[in-house]
Amino acid sequence: MVVVENVLFPNTFGMELIYSFVIIVCSLLVYFSTKKMYEVSKYPGIRYFRMSFLFFAITYFFKSFISFLFLVFDIHEIIEFSALFFGVLTLFFFMYASTMAIFYLLYSVVWKNFKEKKFTIPLIHILVLIISAWSILVNEVRILLGFQVFIFLFIAVYNYLSLKKSKGTKKPGQLHAIYLFLFLFWMLNLADLLISGFDPILEILISMASIGLFLIILYKVVKNVGSS
Amino acid sequence: MGKRDKLEIMRDILKVIKENHGHIKMTPLLRKSNLSSKRFADYKEELLQKELIQEIEEKKRGKQILITTKGMEFLEKYRAIVNFVNEFDL
Repeated sequence: MVVVENVLFPNTFGMELIYSFVIIVCSLLVYFSTKKMYEVSKYPGIRYFRMSFLFFAITYFFKSFISFLFLVFDIHEIIEFSALFFGVLTLFFFMYASTMAIFYLLYSVVWKNFKEKKFTIPLIHILVLIISAWSILVNEVRILLGFQVFIFLFIAVYNYLSLKKSKGTKKPGQLHAIYLFLFLFWMLNLADLLISGFDPILEILISMASIGLFLIILYKVVKNVGSS
Repeated sequence: MGKRDKLEIMRDILKVIKENHGHIKMTPLLRKSNLSSKRFADYKEELLQKELIQEIEEKKRGKQILITTKGMEFLEKYRAIVNFVNEFDL
């Protein structure tokens, strides 16, 4: 009954469901609308970009599922949550998918400058799986947060250096700002879910900002895909 | 050379084949593509892998390079692909 009431009436969980649903739909639209473009070109940058949004969709699915389990089992702390078997499993997939989503998105911009080997991407998957498992085993979600910040900073610095190397022929555009904000709001989302619950108004503001960013990206995708 | 240029070269090779009624011999294609033999071989391999072209052996005409349906689709969508790649800095 509590579950039904919470879903039907506007509250944190109800908002969470709507919010996650919108982002999952946006992400899947990005993924599927670029399918043909990728199939025809087999362009690696498009593949990384698509993979990022597929992982974002998976991440938000697990995020809303975690909130659902919080509600059903009346859990308030992530530590209590990791005591449940499927809680641990959900958390693991959530951590893995979210890190891969961030990685693929940022990598889609810088992959051209890397001398990528056949095993680079599988190796990243394995590394992320290990770090996600380690985070859960030692009950320290800050490890994962730290790892995502590391990925972001590494790629941001790398991109900055390659832009500098191009001697002004390439300039950071609107996209870099969108990705920066997407990452910042994602970090706030993670901190809210894994470390401490924020004030509901702040949660709504973070959600709205995240939805806005996903809609901007979707608009840019549809604008280009539509022209084909 | 950047990947964007790579897409452009792929487009140019496919365009040459298309404008030659969809099939062409290797030597004139190499000449018209304005690439060195080594780079042409790399692009040919990539286009074959991506199934954008096909290589066939004909008794009368010898080895021929054909543009596939996928290759035609690539030409149709080329502008959109390039715009998309530029928009997201891919």
